[in-house]
Amino acid sequence: MTDSIYTMGIDVGGSYVKVVLMSYDNINEDHKLLDKQTEKIRKRDPKDVASETIAEVLKRNNLNLKKDIAYLASTGEGEMVEKKTGHFYSMTTHARGGKFFTPDAKTVVDMGGLYVRAIKIDHRGKVMDYKMTGQCASGSGQFIENISRYLGLAIEEVGPMSLKADNPEVPSGICAVLAETDVINLVSKGLSTPNIVKGINLSIAARVVKLLGSLKAESPIALVGGMGMNIGMLQAIEELSKEKKKEDLVFTSHPDAIYSGAIGAALWGGFRYYKLKEKEAAVVA
Amino acid sequence: MKELKEILQECKELSFDLNFTRAKNWKEEKEGRVLVGYMPIYFPREIIHAAGAMPVGIFGGGDIKQIIKGDAYYQSYICHIPRSIMEIALDKHLDHIDGFIFPSICDVIRNLSGIFKQQKIGKFVKYMDFPQNFLPEIGGVFYQQEMQHVLKYIKELNGVEVTIEALNHSIELYNRNRQLIDFIYRIRQDYPWRLSIEEVYCVVRAGTVIPVEEHNAILEQVCEHIKEDIGVPQDKIKVVISGAFCEQPALGLIRAIEEAGCYVVDDDYMLGSRMILGDVDATTDHPLESIAISYIKQSQYSSSIYDVHNPKENRLAKIVKDRGADGVIFAAASFCDPSLLDAPIFQNAFDKMGIRYISFQFSENINQYKVIKEQVGTFSDSIKLWENEEVVSI
Repeated sequence: MTDSIYTMGIDVGGSYVKVVLMSYDNINEDHKLLDKQTEKIRKRDPKDVASETIAEVLKRNNLNLKKDIAYLASTGEGEMVEKKTGHFYSMTTHARGGKFFTPDAKTVVDMGGLYVRAIKIDHRGKVMDYKMTGQCASGSGQFIENISRYLGLAIEEVGPMSLKADNPEVPSGICAVLAETDVINLVSKGLSTPNIVKGINLSIAARVVKLLGSLKAESPIALVGGMGMNIGMLQAIEELSKEKKKEDLVFTSHPDAIYSGAIGAALWGGFRYYKLKEKEAAVVA
Repeated sequence: MKELKEILQECKELSFDLNFTRAKNWKEEKEGRVLVGYMPIYFPREIIHAAGAMPVGIFGGGDIKQIIKGDAYYQSYICHIPRSIMEIALDKHLDHIDGFIFPSICDVIRNLSGIFKQQKIGKFVKYMDFPQNFLPEIGGVFYQQEMQHVLKYIKELNGVEVTIEALNHSIELYNRNRQLIDFIYRIRQDYPWRLSIEEVYCVVRAGTVIPVEEHNAILEQVCEHIKEDIGVPQDKIKVVISGAFCEQPALGLIRAIEEAGCYVVDDDYMLGSRMILGDVDATTDHPLESIAISYIKQSQYSSSIYDVHNPKENRLAKIVKDRGADGVIFAAASFCDPSLLDAPIFQNAFDKMGIRYISFQFSENINQYKVIKEQVGTFSDSIKLWENEEVVSI
C-alpha cells in the first residue's frame, strides 16, 4: 500500500535556481526524485527564473501546479517564489537533502555558492548543531566557478581534472581576491591545470575539515550543495582528514548534490502536507 | 473607493516622509494652526486635537537618515533613536513643528528632551510623566494635571481654550481610529495573508503624521478591502512581536520576519496608536478624567508601565493565546533598557508556561537581515516540523 503525492522543491540561490519534482510516500517513506532542473540566474530577475523553471518542470511532466502538486516548498531566497505553499530555511532543507542521499548520515556539509556549512543532524534529519565559514568567498563555490572560468574549464570538469593531479600547489591567500591572483601566478609558473585545481580543492577542503573538527562531526558525512558534486573536492577532504588522523570519518557525495536544498524542501513540504491534513482531521473530529 | 495598492503606497510615503509634508501643509492651510510633535511610546493625541492643534509622531530617522551630527550627542552605548531624532532636528526637518512632547519611557528620552530645551528646538518642550500609581484618585489626578500642562502650552500658541464638547468630539474620533485598527488586527488574526505586517505597519504609522479624520477615512477603506477574501494563504507559523515599541525596526526587517516563515499576528511596533484597549468614554462632563481613567484601567502592557498587580508577562501570554500564536519573537532595539530589562521577565515566565520564543536585537538603521532571517527561519521550521519538541537553540 502506498500513499503518494507530488511535491515540488525550489532552491533560489545566489547563482542558480534549482527545481525538483518528487513523489512523497507517507507510508513507506519511499520518496522518489522524479525530475530536476537547474537554471543559472545570470542577469535576469530571479522571480522570473523561478516561475519559468517551475513551469517547465510541470509542463514536462504534464502536471498542473494547483491540481496536482500537494506542496510547493521554497528554500534559499524564498521571497522570489510567488506561488509557494510554504518556505523552509536553507539549513533545514540541506540537512534533509543530505539524509535523502545518505539515509544514515549524521553530518551534512552544505557547500554552496557563498559559504560552507557543517550541520549535525539526528536520525530524522532535524538540525541539532552547525558551524559555518565566515563571509570570505575563498571558501565558496563561487570561488571555484571563477577559477574554472580563468582556466577555461567547464564547472563539471573541475572534479575529474583534480583527480589527475600529481603535485598540487595550494594557493596561499586567505582572501578570494588574493587567491585568484595566486592562481594567475601559478598559471604563469607553468603549473599544470590538474595541479592548480587540486590545490584549490585542498584549500577549501582545509576549511571544511576545520569546521568538521569544531563541530565534532560524526560519520557518515554527506557532502551536498553545488560543490558536493565535485569528486575532486571529496578526494581532497578525504586526504586532509587522513592527514589530520581522522581516518574514521566516512564521506559521501552524490551527482545530484546540487539539488539537496530543493529535495529537502520538497520532502519537508510532503511531511508538512500530511501534518496539516492531520490537524484538519482533528479539528473536524 | 481607492485601490488597496494605491492606499498602501500613499501610507508608505506618508510614514517615511521625514519632512512631515502633510502636517506642514495642514498647518499652512489656516493661520494660527499649531503642530505638536510627540515621541514614542504613547501620548493622548485627543487633547492636542481638541485644542485645535495636530499631533505629529516622531519615530526617528530609520534606515533613511544617515547619522552624522546626532552621534555627537550620545555615547556609543545608547540606543539609536535619539541620535536620529537629533539629526532630523538639526537638519531642520522639524522646523515647522511648534512644540515637542517627550513621554516618559527611559532616561535617554528624558535627556533628549533636555537637549531639545538646551538647543531651543521648538516653542515648548514638555517631558511628560505618566503615572505609575494606578489609583484614579492619585495617579489619575496627577495624569490630568500633566495633560492640563500640555494644553496650557498649546493655548499660549493659539489661544484656544479647550471645551468639553471639543474634547468629547476628539475622543470619539480617536475611539473610531482605534476601533478600525483593531478590526485590521482581528482580520489578520485569522487571515494574515490579506494584508502583510509591513502593510499594516505603514497604514498605522501613516496615521501619526496626518489629521485623524484623514486617517480614519484611510482605515475605513482598508477595512473594506480586507473584508474580501484577498491574497493567497501560505504555510507559516503565527508569531507575536514584542519589544520594538520605541525605536522602530526598518521596514525591510519588518518584512524579513514574515518572509522567513512567520505571520506576525500581533506586535508592539506602533504601540501608542493601540495603547488604549476599547473606547474612552466620550459622553462625560470630565473628558480629561475619562482619558486618565482609560490609561489607568484600559491601557496595553508596556515596558514603561510598572503595574505589579497586572504582570506584563501574563498579559503578553494572553495576547499569544487570544491570537492563536505559535510563539513570540522578542525584538529589542540595541541598548534599549526598558525592553532588554523586561526580556528576562518574559522569558522566565514563558519557559514555565511553555510558550516558545526567540530574541534578537536590532538598530533602526540596519539593513542587513541575513542573521535575523536565519534565526527566524530556524524558529519557524522548528515549530512547523517539530511542534511538540523544544526549540533547539543553535
